[in-house]
Order: sequence, then structure tokens, then C-alpha cells
Amino acid sequence: MDYVNDLVTILPELILTGLLLVVITVDLFLPRDRKWILTPLTVAGLILAGAACIVVWDIDEVVYAGMYDVDPLSTFLKATTIVIGILSALFAPTYLAVRRIPLGEFNAILVAALIGMSVIASSADLVTLFIGLELMTMPSYLLTGLHKTDRYSNEGGLKYFLLGSFASAIFLFGTAWVYGLTGSTNIAEVAAALQGEMNGALLVAMGFLLVGGTFKVAAVPFHYWTPDAYQGAPTPITGFLSAGPKLGAFALLIRVFAEALAPLRADWLGIFLALTVLTMTMGNIVALTQVNVKRMLAYSSIAHTGYIMAGLAAFANAGDPDVAAQGIESVLFYLLGYGVMNIAAFAVVGMLQRDTRRYGGLNSFAGLASRAPWRAAAMAILMLSLTGIPPTVGFFAKLYVLLAAVNANLEWLAVVIVLNAALAAFYYLRVIVYMYMREPEANPAPIETSPFGSVALAVSVVGVLVLGLFPDPILTLLEESAASLF
Amino acid sequence: MSSSGLPILSLIVFTPLLGVLALLFVPGNNHRAIRWVALIAALASFAFSLVLLGYDRGGPEFQFVEDLPWIPAFGMRYTVGVDGLSVVLVLLTTLLSVVSVFYSWEPIRTRVKEYYISLLLLMVGMLGVFVALDLFLFYVFWEISLIPMYLIIGIWGGPRRVYATVKFVVYTLVGSLLMLVAILAVAIAHGNETGTFTFSYLALRDFGFADGLQALAFIAFFLAFAIKVPMWPFHTWLPDAHVEAPTAGSIILAGVLLKLGGYGFLRFSIPLLPDASASFAPIIIGMSVIAILYGALVAMVQPDLKKLVAYSSVSHMGFVTLGAFVFNEQGLQGAAFTMVSHGIVTGALFLLVGIIYEQTHDRQIAHMGGLNARLPGYAAIFGLFTFASIGLPGLSGFVGEFLVILGAFRFSGWAAAIAMLVVVASAVYMLWMFQRVFFTVPSDWMRRSWSRLRDMNRNEWIAVAPLIVLVVALGVYPGPVLDLFAAPIDRIVSAVDGAGLAGWPWGP
Repeated sequence: MDYVNDLVTILPELILTGLLLVVITVDLFLPRDRKWILTPLTVAGLILAGAACIVVWDIDEVVYAGMYDVDPLSTFLKATTIVIGILSALFAPTYLAVRRIPLGEFNAILVAALIGMSVIASSADLVTLFIGLELMTMPSYLLTGLHKTDRYSNEGGLKYFLLGSFASAIFLFGTAWVYGLTGSTNIAEVAAALQGEMNGALLVAMGFLLVGGTFKVAAVPFHYWTPDAYQGAPTPITGFLSAGPKLGAFALLIRVFAEALAPLRADWLGIFLALTVLTMTMGNIVALTQVNVKRMLAYSSIAHTGYIMAGLAAFANAGDPDVAAQGIESVLFYLLGYGVMNIAAFAVVGMLQRDTRRYGGLNSFAGLASRAPWRAAAMAILMLSLTGIPPTVGFFAKLYVLLAAVNANLEWLAVVIVLNAALAAFYYLRVIVYMYMREPEANPAPIETSPFGSVALAVSVVGVLVLGLFPDPILTLLEESAASLF
Repeated sequence: MSSSGLPILSLIVFTPLLGVLALLFVPGNNHRAIRWVALIAALASFAFSLVLLGYDRGGPEFQFVEDLPWIPAFGMRYTVGVDGLSVVLVLLTTLLSVVSVFYSWEPIRTRVKEYYISLLLLMVGMLGVFVALDLFLFYVFWEISLIPMYLIIGIWGGPRRVYATVKFVVYTLVGSLLMLVAILAVAIAHGNETGTFTFSYLALRDFGFADGLQALAFIAFFLAFAIKVPMWPFHTWLPDAHVEAPTAGSIILAGVLLKLGGYGFLRFSIPLLPDASASFAPIIIGMSVIAILYGALVAMVQPDLKKLVAYSSVSHMGFVTLGAFVFNEQGLQGAAFTMVSHGIVTGALFLLVGIIYEQTHDRQIAHMGGLNARLPGYAAIFGLFTFASIGLPGLSGFVGEFLVILGAFRFSGWAAAIAMLVVVASAVYMLWMFQRVFFTVPSDWMRRSWSRLRDMNRNEWIAVAPLIVLVVALGVYPGPVLDLFAAPIDRIVSAVDGAGLAGWPWGP
């Protein structure tokens, strides 16, 4: 009965795939004024998939002839992608409707991308990994360019597509080198074959994988696609892009560097540290100069990439397995917390773009506190969370990374992180300055008020505060997740 | 440790938070209801804090202890408790908060709801800092106290409020984030050694860290606290913040927020890291003496009343750090007492400056003059606090500074001599200011608004009355407060003594 058992292990993916087909089919038969039904439908399906994650939580086995690894680590990542998916699905409808972007396509493509991320998270083989990667990034290109009549959206989609497929190819080339050197694409076998010395050919393989991987997480100096893609994409989709594919790419880095190349971690640590410091610092410095909130958040997402990478660096520098596990845990926690707060922050920017000629400038935030006090308060909490002020999830996520770094004897990295966080306070607090300390513009743009969006925003903000104050239940899950890697 | 049945400390800290929750449901245009809710919340917190007067000096070190698991995975606990030092500072905080809430009645007319929410949240943060006995909990409260003040200055402040408030936040954030790394580093060092990962203050205090770690951690803690105090040369945010802050913001800022820094030195830096404290003491004493001198000299030439009081704060807080780092009983007693006294006196001075500013919308000393004739009651009270600030015997300012100088003498005659001279200098700037504001011929500018001036009204009297009582009572009879400080300060002295202070060439 292995066949049935194998099917149960991939229950979340199966539900997502079913949901994808249902959404496409239902979309065909809905009249235009009923399209909104797709949103609750998608969300219901995603909740079902989330429930399936609970069902498969205890499973820790490699299925499908060593191609697919269902362990708590992958299940946690899948659950996080589903949270990201639910929030994205709830925030998007009104923004899309105003711009006549078809909702059915959006929901279907979104679910397809979620499947891709789930496959990456569960990859036990570099080939599965690449399939997952493509399954995630292809829909992401489409989502970026979804606003067909907007030239920024077109430009962003095209740039993302060209550079992204280039990076995918580089990554694939690295995979080929690994296969040539170890005779296997299976992650566990690769790791076993790499116990020996470092050599030139391995260095080449590692370099290609690193470039491909860090491109996908948008680390400096491979970040150039990010600001244009993020700014061009419809705003709620930008929120998704900043959290979802980033999660997928970090899942890829974990599978490749913390699993397949883990024996060589002393060799990739140095360059990884350099990229980490460069990424957070560059991201913050450039974000400082932005006057467009959407673009500012795009650059700040690069800075957050740097903080998350610090968790991986802690993994690599750790002496004992417990500390190494803490590095991975910090990455997972950060991805969850960052996903929630960043999607919600982009959604607020989107809500202020009810007037389609608005592109999310700082001015549209002026005096928001008197025009829409609840939304302003929500945005203020999100900005504080992104800065890393307690008691928010952003604070705890940063704390986790700091803890992992200090534990792994990377105190200097912890200092670099906190100095960066102080730098970031400048531009995050600037949004609060505009909302609370300036008068509204003479003829302010209307604000979107959709029930779905309001509910999602409230849930996100409550989540940001609750996870910041009482992260303990998540921490227990994280311990099990990271333990499955060792 | 002892614990009482009722979670009295949680009641003190979180009653303002209940007030915030209640305010969320009050309509924003019902200013009357908002003010009453805020006042009741602050008063309730103050009433609860009076229970702390039952602190038993013969009993265990920390009392009213509550200890609950918070984030067990990381060994973070919700541990609160008070010793004599915290009791006094908690009382000071609740009292000044009530005064601020009450005084803000008239001056704050825009966004009243947000204002009181910020003020009450600020209370939560400050009170939490004074009672936290878990380093992580302490850090969380420390940061929570930051944002409300940012909003208070930034929304209800003067013309350059945005600049001032961003400067305030970024300065403080740099220090506090480095402190976070230090907190993690000491907790991890302790955890690696003992196998139990904890942020418990008592466990970490009794541990004794390696020298290298102590030095680095001390620098990080020092930056956080020195920026908050603020010590020269980290003081530059303070005059801007004070000048732009609304009156109640200035009262809280001078009265309580600066004390967070001094409290941090006494509670955390010195007991946790005694060896590093002893090695860095000469530098810090030097910086304190510079701060005392520099603050006084700069205060002399300030044309703006509020800025003058702000720079005098730099000078007075220099006494606090000077007393803290000479490590003898007199010095430390003086440091702790100066914190309390400065909180009351400077809080009152900012309140008084606020009263005149509300009427004239001007704080330039040159624009005033002859106010004594028009506002005799106001002048009398202002005079009282002027003398308290100078350190006239019989008023609270004298006790603390006298003790600090006494303690400093045992450390170095030079430091004491300079500090003593500055007490004279403080008489110069305060009395000269008082003379120009109240006695000389009214300026033309003042004459024009002469008819609009009024003496203190009933509410202003009520706001300032408790401060008048305290400044006299503490000046005449400081015994009870000094007795409360005695046990915690003995502990600090013996902690540093053990750290080889005797090896100092000038040691005791």
C-alpha cells in the first residue's frame, strides 16, 4: 500500500493542485459580476491545504524513489507559503478589479507558484529542486507582468523574466557540475560524496549554485532585477513577490547549501558572509534615498534578505549541531514573520492606490492618520515591526538571527545587523512621520476599503503582535523542523 | 525573593495599558471623556504604586516578585520585582505621569486621543524598565518606551519637531540595539558555562563573566545608557528633543526617561560587569566631570528658557554618573538621590516654562522681564524650583549633589573641586535667568502681551502642588528615601569591591 501512503505524504500539494484546477474551471463559468467568489474559494482551498500540513506534520520520510523529502522542515515551509498565499489572495481583489486585471488568472497563477515553492521545500534531488524552481518562477514572471496595459508592469515582468531565466540557467549549470563531480543528483548522496577535500572543479560548481541561488533571493550584487520588478508589479502582487519567491529561494539555499553542500560549509562561509553584509548594507543605504514607498520597500526587502542570510551564515559557522539548527530555525522564523508583515505593508501601499495614477509615493501617506486612523495605525505597527521594535514579530525574528549569530561566534555580524537595523529605522519611521506628523495633501487620493483587504490587514497586524509577544508555539515547531535536517 | 498574593507590580505596569484599550473605544471627538479615562488610568497606577511603600527593608532584596514563564524555548521569563531603588523610581514615574496627564488637559487640543494613548503606553514602558528582573523583559520595555516619546515629540511638538524626534529615536536606537547584542552575549556565555540558558538578572549577576566579554559588553551597555542619560558627548539629541517636545513630553523626558539611563548603570552595568566597570570608571568619571562643567557653561549662554533647563539637565545628570562610578556609598547614594531630585525639580521647571509658553508662545529670555509684578504666585514657585535646582540646602537638590561631591572627594579631590565649582556656576545661570525673567524692566515685547498674562490657575496649582511638597520634604528629611537606597547600594559597593577596586592607586 506504499502507493496510497505516498499520496498521503503529498496531501498539501495535491490539494493545491486540485485547487488550481478548480479555480481555472470555476472562473470559466462565473459571470463578470460574480468573479469575487474566486477569492473566498481560493482562500478556502488554501485553508484546506494548510489543514493538510497539520495532517502530514509528523511524517518524516523520503518518497518517490528518493526524489521527494517530506519532513517537518518542508511542511513548515509549505505552511508558511500557504499563509503567504492566503494573505496575497485576500489583499489583491479590489486593486486588480480597479485596474481590470482578471482575478481568475491571478488566483490560478498564485496557486501554481505556491505549488512550486512547496516542491522546492520538499526536494530530495537537485532535479526535483530545479522543477520546483521553475514552477515557482514562471508564475512569478507572469504575475509581475499581469497588468498588461501598464508599461512599468511590462518592464518589470520582462526584466524579471530575462534575468531570472539567466539565473535559472546558471543554477542548472551548477547542478550539472555537481552531477559530474559526484555522479549523483540526489541531495543526500551528493552530501555523502563531498566529504573529501575542496578542489577547483567543486569551487566552480559551488560558484554557479551560489550565483543562481543568491540571484533568486535577491542578494547584492545579484539584486538588480528586484526594484524594477517590485515597483512594476501590481502592488499586492509585489507583496507576494517579496515574500513568496523569497521563501522558495531560501528553501532552495537550505536544500543546496545546508544539506547538499553542508560538508563544504567552511568553504562557502566566507563568500556567503561577504554577500550577507553587502546585501543588508546596500539594501538599507539605497532604501534611505527612496521617496516612493513601494520602491523603498523593494530595497528594504533586499536588506531583509541580508538578515535572513545571516541565519544561514550562523548555521555554517556553528560548532555544534544545536547552534547550527538554531541558524536554520532563525531563517524559518524570519521567513514567516517577514512574509506576514511585508505583504501587509505592500497591501497598505496598494490601498492608497485606489486612484490608478498613484504609484505609492510618500506624499500619498501624508496625514493618513487623520484620514484613515485604523489603516495608519496598522501601517505604523507594520513599519515598527519591519524596523524591529518590540513587541512585534519583526523584532523577534531579528532577535532570533542575532541569537544564532552570537551563538555561532559571529558577534561582529550581530553588530553589523543591529547597526543596519538602526539605519533602517530612518526610512521606516519616515512613513510614520508622513502619516502622523504631516497634514494631508490638498486633494488626497481616495482609499480603498474592501472587506477582504480589511480583514486580512487586521489579521496580519494581530499576527505581527501576537507572534512578537508569544512566539513560543511556533518555536516548538521550528525546533522539530530544523532537527529533521540533521 | 518573596512574592505577594496580588500581582501588584503587574497592576502598576499594565493599568495604563487597560486605559489605552479603554481609550480605543472612546470616540475621538469626546475630549472630556478621553482625558478622564487617561487620568483615571494614571491615577489608578499611581494608587497601586503606593502599595510599594510597604516594602520591607528588613526583608529579602527583591519583593513583590512575580515570576512566570514567557518564552520557555529561550529561557525568557516574565520576572518582575522591586528593591529600594526601583520602589522610589516607580513612585517617581507614576507621580510624574499623573502630573503630565493632568497638566496636558488644556494645552493639548489636537488629536487628544492619540496623545493620551501615547502617554499611557510610555508609562507602561518606563514602569516596566524599573521593575523588570529579566534582561530580555527589560530590553522589551526599554524599547517600548521609545516609540510613544517619538510620537509625542513628533506630533505635538514645536516647529522642528520631526528633526528632533528622528534624532532622538535614531540615537537611542543605536545604543539600545548594541545593548541587545550584549545582553544576548552575556546570556549565551552564562548558558554555555552552566548549561541553563536564562536571562534572569539574579542568575547573571551572580555569575562573574570573563574579562574580555565584560569589557565588550560594558561598552555596549554603556553606549545605551550614556545616550539615554545623556552623558557628554552623547547629549546632542537632548536640547533638540526638549525644545521641540510639548510640555508634558519634556516633564516625562527630563523626569523619568533620563533616569532610565542612570538606573541602567546602577542596576545592570555595574553589578553585572563589575570588573569592566572598575576599569572604565576613570574614563566615565572624566566624562562626567566634563558633562557637569560643559552643561553649566552652555546653559549660561542659552537665550531660550527651555534650552537652558535642558543643558542644566546635562550638568545635573553628570552628577549622577559621577556619583555612580566613584563606587562608594556616599557617591552612589548621591547619584540615586540626584536622579529623584532632578526628576522632580526639572519636571517642575519644564512645567513652569510650559505655563508661560502657553500664554505667550515664546520662550526667549530676552523677551521677558518684570514678570514678578504681573504673576507673583508664578514667580514664587519658579523661584522655589530655581533654588532647588541650584542646590540650596533645605531643598531636595542639595542632598544629592552634596553626597556626590562627598563621594567624589574620596575618589579624587580634583573631580570634587570641579563639581563644587559648577554648583556655583549653576547659581550663576539659574539666578541670572531668574533675574532677567522676573525682575528687570519688562521688554517691549512683554508689554504688548502684558494684558493677556494671567497667574497660575487652579489646575496648574494642582499639577505643581505635589512637586512643591516633595521638593521641600525630600530636602528637609531625605532619610526615608536614603534608607530605601541603602541596601541596593551596599550591594553595588560590595560587588565592585570584590572586583579589585582596592587595586586602584586612589582606592578606598
